Amino acid sequence: MKLGLVIDLDTCVGCHACATACKEWNASSPVSGPLSDYEPFGAEPSGVWFNRVRHYEVGEYPASKTINFPMSCMHCADAACVTVCPTGASYKREDGIVLVDQDKCMGCNLCAWACPYGARELDESSGTMKKCTLCVDRINDELLPPEERQPACVLACPTHARFFGDFDDPKSDVSRLSAARGGFGLLAELGYEPVNRYLPPRVPKPIVGLDDARALLERGLASLADPVIRR
Amino acid sequence: MKPTFSIVFFTVISGAGLGLLSLLALADVCPVDTLPKRAYTTGIALSLALIVIGLAASVLHLAKPSNAWRAFSRFRTSWLSREAVFAVALVGVVFIYGGVVAGGASGAIRVPIALLTSVLCCAVLLCTAMIYASLKPIRQWHTRWTPACYLLLGHWSGALALLALALTYEARPAPFVWLAIAIGVAALAVKLAYWNASTGATNAVTLERAIGVREGVHPPGKTVAQARLFDAGHSHGTFLTNEFGFVLARTYATALRAGALLLAFGVPAIAFSAGWLDAAIADVVACLCIIGLFAERWLFFAEARHTVRLYHGDART
Repeated sequence: MKLGLVIDLDTCVGCHACATACKEWNASSPVSGPLSDYEPFGAEPSGVWFNRVRHYEVGEYPASKTINFPMSCMHCADAACVTVCPTGASYKREDGIVLVDQDKCMGCNLCAWACPYGARELDESSGTMKKCTLCVDRINDELLPPEERQPACVLACPTHARFFGDFDDPKSDVSRLSAARGGFGLLAELGYEPVNRYLPPRVPKPIVGLDDARALLERGLASLADPVIRR
Repeated sequence: MKPTFSIVFFTVISGAGLGLLSLLALADVCPVDTLPKRAYTTGIALSLALIVIGLAASVLHLAKPSNAWRAFSRFRTSWLSREAVFAVALVGVVFIYGGVVAGGASGAIRVPIALLTSVLCCAVLLCTAMIYASLKPIRQWHTRWTPACYLLLGHWSGALALLALALTYEARPAPFVWLAIAIGVAALAVKLAYWNASTGATNAVTLERAIGVREGVHPPGKTVAQARLFDAGHSHGTFLTNEFGFVLARTYATALRAGALLLAFGVPAIAFSAGWLDAAIADVVACLCIIGLFAERWLFFAEARHTVRLYHGDART
């Protein structure tokens, strides 16, 4: 198995619901322990997050586009964070999920250095490394109704920009969606074989330049005048 | 990368100790034995102290040192684990070697243990370097110059310490001077090559590449879309910005490079060319070299730029 996420950059509106839902669910995670906050009500609040949403502007105005960009662990097939770990705390499960054994981690930060995606964050309170668990305690919980056995971020997304599934199965929703929309993995050239796939934004309609404004105006007036003349 | 003092201290101080011990053991094996016995025992004790102090400092950067003993468990995959195993093995071997030297044992026992000591010193230096050189997200480190630098700079500070030792115990200084000059020239060459490779950005990654922006959203007439960070999504510092967001002003970098070169290489060059072969001066030169290497090692971290910085708005690594 190769469990992972598909993230649709075309429909993501950058609302941070996935990140907050993740934080909420994993605050009481039996796998990673709480995600500590530092000075949550102070002047400079900070803390551990498994999922962070960043926002980029691409291209020059007026042909520019905002791309909202959620990032969490890519659950790489060749996970360097697991290779470099000296204690054996970082490991990869049979189903592809990369986890940190909180009882073994010594907090040396080397795995965070090895990850190009910034998926790992040190929890200063516990002194151990924390990361996305793909909600391993949700997706395998048979007490939950089947439709809820998905990561918290996927369930929370209001625009259905996130999908969860097995990329080893070519017939799975995530495999077919990724193939149909040209899904890509981030920084594939580093060779870590990230599993998560990002669906590129669709090509925007061409924007009319200033030179075309006159033609546009004439066309607009014509379309208004047409029904009158035809009558 | 944020320069952590305990790591800078560990790599420089242990590096000097490893270099000194490696060369001392090699000098022991060489047929021209010009050092008196006291020089060997003092040198072994000094290098052991440097190595152990450095290793102790390295534990300080761990967020949970109570689990440090587990670091010996992943020898097959992790360079950090290999470094830990070789370092502890070396400390054990050094005690045996020290005992053999102090007991005045014959060559049949002494030579293999001396060679093993030297090999283990090089192994620890190489493993430390490979921790950094194996990290693909940090392109300044991910080069063959990184292990070459650690190996040669450790032996360079060790060679100056060995010269000081030889002068203190009134041995014939000429072989140790020539040894130091040979290693010093090689060390300077690889460090300059490292700096040259890290500034020439042939393998740099851009923000556009990192977020996978492709055709369709680029401005007319341009093949690559110009991307920039609009909002990082957090109002204050995070682990990622604290750990990887360190920015070094270019003027400081230039000044520090000059200072590192002057102290680590300029001062010994002046001392050699002026022919100041005196024990006290050699001690000062070795100490100044180590101070210069502190600046060099601090820069090694401060100038390295992690790929995750792209997602926080850097245009390129």
